[in-house]
Amino acid sequence: MSSNFRRVRLGISDGGIYTVAVQKPLSISRRSIFTTAPLIPLAALSAAPDSGFSPAQLRLVEAFVDRLIPSDENGPGARESGVAIYIDRSFAGPLADEKPALLKGLASVDAFARSTQNGPLAELLPDKQDAVLTAIENNDAPGFTPDSRTFFYRMRQLAFEGMFGDPFYGGNRGFAGWDLIRYPGPRMAVSSEEQKLREPIKKLRTSARPASNGVNHGH
Amino acid sequence: MAIKLPPVDVAVIGLGAAGGVAVLPLARAGLKVAAIEAGAWLDPRSFRPDEINNNIRGWPDSVQKANREIPTVRLGPSLPTLPRTSVHPMMNAVGGSSLHYWAQSWRLNPFDFQTRSRAIARYGASAIPAGSTLEDWPLTYDDLEPYYDLVEQEIGVSGKAGNIQGVIHPQGNVFEGPRRREYPMPPLRSTGFTDHMAAAAKQLGWKPFRPPAAINSEEHRGRAACVFHGYCSRGGCHINAKNSTAVTTIPEAMKTKQLSVFDRAQVTRILSGADGRVTGVQYLRNGSEYFQPARAVLLGSYTYENTRLLLLSKSKAYPKGLSNNHGQVGKHYFGHWVSYGNGGVLALFPFDLNVWYGTPAQGMVVDEWADDNYDHTGLGFIGGSNLHVFNEMHPIQSASMDTFGRTPAWGSRWKSFVHENAARWTAAHVQTSSFPYEENFLDLDTEVRDPLGDPVCRITCGPKDNELRAVAFAQKKMEQWFLAAGAIQVVRRPMSPPGVSTHAYGGTRMGDNAETNVVDRWGFSHEAPNLGVLGASVMGTSGARNPTQTVQALCWRTAEHLIKNWKSIAV
Repeated sequence: MSSNFRRVRLGISDGGIYTVAVQKPLSISRRSIFTTAPLIPLAALSAAPDSGFSPAQLRLVEAFVDRLIPSDENGPGARESGVAIYIDRSFAGPLADEKPALLKGLASVDAFARSTQNGPLAELLPDKQDAVLTAIENNDAPGFTPDSRTFFYRMRQLAFEGMFGDPFYGGNRGFAGWDLIRYPGPRMAVSSEEQKLREPIKKLRTSARPASNGVNHGH
Repeated sequence: MAIKLPPVDVAVIGLGAAGGVAVLPLARAGLKVAAIEAGAWLDPRSFRPDEINNNIRGWPDSVQKANREIPTVRLGPSLPTLPRTSVHPMMNAVGGSSLHYWAQSWRLNPFDFQTRSRAIARYGASAIPAGSTLEDWPLTYDDLEPYYDLVEQEIGVSGKAGNIQGVIHPQGNVFEGPRRREYPMPPLRSTGFTDHMAAAAKQLGWKPFRPPAAINSEEHRGRAACVFHGYCSRGGCHINAKNSTAVTTIPEAMKTKQLSVFDRAQVTRILSGADGRVTGVQYLRNGSEYFQPARAVLLGSYTYENTRLLLLSKSKAYPKGLSNNHGQVGKHYFGHWVSYGNGGVLALFPFDLNVWYGTPAQGMVVDEWADDNYDHTGLGFIGGSNLHVFNEMHPIQSASMDTFGRTPAWGSRWKSFVHENAARWTAAHVQTSSFPYEENFLDLDTEVRDPLGDPVCRITCGPKDNELRAVAFAQKKMEQWFLAAGAIQVVRRPMSPPGVSTHAYGGTRMGDNAETNVVDRWGFSHEAPNLGVLGASVMGTSGARNPTQTVQALCWRTAEHLIKNWKSIAV
C-alpha cells in the first residue's frame, strides 16, 4: 500500500509544518475502482478467484490436513470435506501476504519427509505420514521458521477453519465438520428450549452465506 | 493541499462507543458537531452468523484502519518486540467496537475510584504495588453515578440492581455501589448452563447474579429484544437488539441536525496554534485531505490511537507531541488482566452444556472475589476478580478446545474426543483489577509504520507481581466453582501479560496533578484547554469488569462540562 503514497510537506494552520501523506494518482487497474485507497482492506485488494497453489502444493496440503482430521468411524476427514480448497482460496485472497511463509514451510515438510521417509509427504503411507507430522509437531524437524511446531499449529488452525467454518468458504462440505462436533447449526433466533443443559438440540444445516447469492469465492 | 472546511463548534475524532455517546449531549445543546470516523456505516444485513468473517478475519468487508496500525508489543523496555498479530481486536465503523462487543455494561465498584487511599487505610502503605503509579481518581463513584444512570437510560441496559439508594436487593449484585434506580430493562434470560452454575455458587455460599448488558431483554424504544442467535462476540446484531451507539445515541444526535458524520475518514493530525490551543483536525477521505477547523476537539479514537495521534501531532507549542509538554502522554498504560480462553480457567463436564447459542452477557457472575469485597490481609495483592461464566460458543472455537491431556491434538483419537466433548467444555471470563506502573507505557514504534508512513503505537507492558498473584487467587476460586458444578476436570492455564487489548487503559490519564496526568478531572487537557479526551485512556484503574459503560459515563460528563463552560473553553 505504501507505494500509493508520497510524502509531502504542507504548511497548515499557524501551528507549524506537518508532514502528511497524500495519495498518488493511481494507474488504471482493477484496483482503481476503490476510490478510498487509503482505507480499503488488504483483503479486498488481493481478492482473486484463482488457485493459490500448484497441483503438487495442493496435494501436499491435502495430505497434511487429512492426517490431522482423517476419515474414520466418526465421519469424513479433511480431504472429503474440502479443507484444502478452503486453504487454497484463503491464500489466493485474504492470506496472500502469508503465502511465501506457508510455501516455505510446505517445502520444509517435503524435504523432511524425503530425508526421513524417502518420499514427499503426499506419497507416503498413512503411518509414515503420521511419523512425519509427529516430528514436526514435536519440534524435531529442521528447516522451519521460527520452528516446526509453530508451522504445525498454523496448519492445524487453518485445517480447523476449513473443517468447522461456514461451507461458503470451501470446506466443511456436507457440514461434516459441524456433524463431527455436534454443532446444531446457525439459526437466526434461539428459544430457551435450545439453551437447556443436556437436552439434544435439533440439527439445522444451512450456510450463513448461501452460495447462490455470492458473486465472490469466499474471500 | 488540504481542503479547508467551514468551521464547526466541536470536532469529535472517532464515532465509536465513546465519541458516539459524547455527540448526543453536545448536539442536544445546540452545538454544531462534526464527527470524523475511520470506518463506515455498516448495515444489519452484513451481520451474519459467520465465524470466519467475524472472528477469524476481523470484518474484511469493512474499513479496518485499525488492522493497518496494530500496535507492537514488548514485555519490557530492553526486551524484544513480540510477533505481531494480524487482526486488531477493535474495529472501525460508525458505532465502532460497540457494534461487535460483548455488551457487558458495568459500573465500576466505588473502591476502583479510590483504590490507593482505601487500600492504604485498610492494609497500610505497603499494600500499594511496588513500582506502580497508582493514584485515586479525581472523582468518586458518587460523582459519576448520575452519568452512569443517564447512559443506562439512553443506550438501554438490562440487568438487576443490587443496591438502590442503599437498599440491598439480593437478586442483583449486592457489592455494587448505590444506584438511584433499577435498570431500564430486566436482565437477559438465564439458560440451563447459567442456572446450573448459579446453583453451584449458592452451594458455596456465594451470591450469583445475572450481569448487566447493553442488550435489549425486551422490546425497547422501538427496537427488538435479543433472539440469542449466538454470534454476538465480535458480531454485529442483525436485529439491532445490541445497543451499540450506531443504533442509539448517534441516531438520536442526528435527529437534532446538529451532527454531521464523516465516515471512511482517517484523522492524521490534530493541529494547534502558537497559543497552545487546538485549531482543528486534519483527515483523509476518498483520497483527499481535509482540514476541519473547530473551536474544541474531543479525541475519542481508542486508547492506542489516542496516544499515537497526540504524539504524532507535534507543533511549536508541543514539540514532543500535543499535550505532552509534561511527558505524560503514553504513561500509566495498562491492559486489563483477563483470564479467558487458553489463558484462563477451562472446565470439562460429563454432559452437554449446550452453550452454543446466546450471548456472552447472558451469563452468571460472582463478585465475592472482586475489588475489595473480601479481606486481602496477607494475600500480597490488592484488587480482585469478577468471575463470569456465559453462553455462546462458535464451531471453530469449540473444536479448538484444550484436550485436557486426554488425547493427542489431532488424528482419529482427537476426532473421537471432540465428537464427545466439543459441547462439554467452557472457559470462564475472569477479569482482574489492573494497575499502572512506571515501566509500562505506550510510545511510537521505532521501526514499524502504517501505510501512511507514520509509526504505529508500541506497547511496553510486562508482568507484575500484584496482578499475577491476584489472577492466581481468582483462578483457584473459579476452579472451586466449576468443581462444585460437577466439572470432571479443570485446567488453570498460566497467564501471559495482556498484549493488544480491548481493555486498554491509560496513556492520557485523568487527574488533578498536571505533572502526572494528561487531562483534568473533566477530561480536558492540562495543556491544550480546548482539547478533551474520551475513552478508557483517561482511566487510572480498571476495576474487575468491562470498561465501556464507565467510558460512556465519563464521555457524557466531559461533554456536559464543555457545554456548561463553553464560553471559557471555546473562547
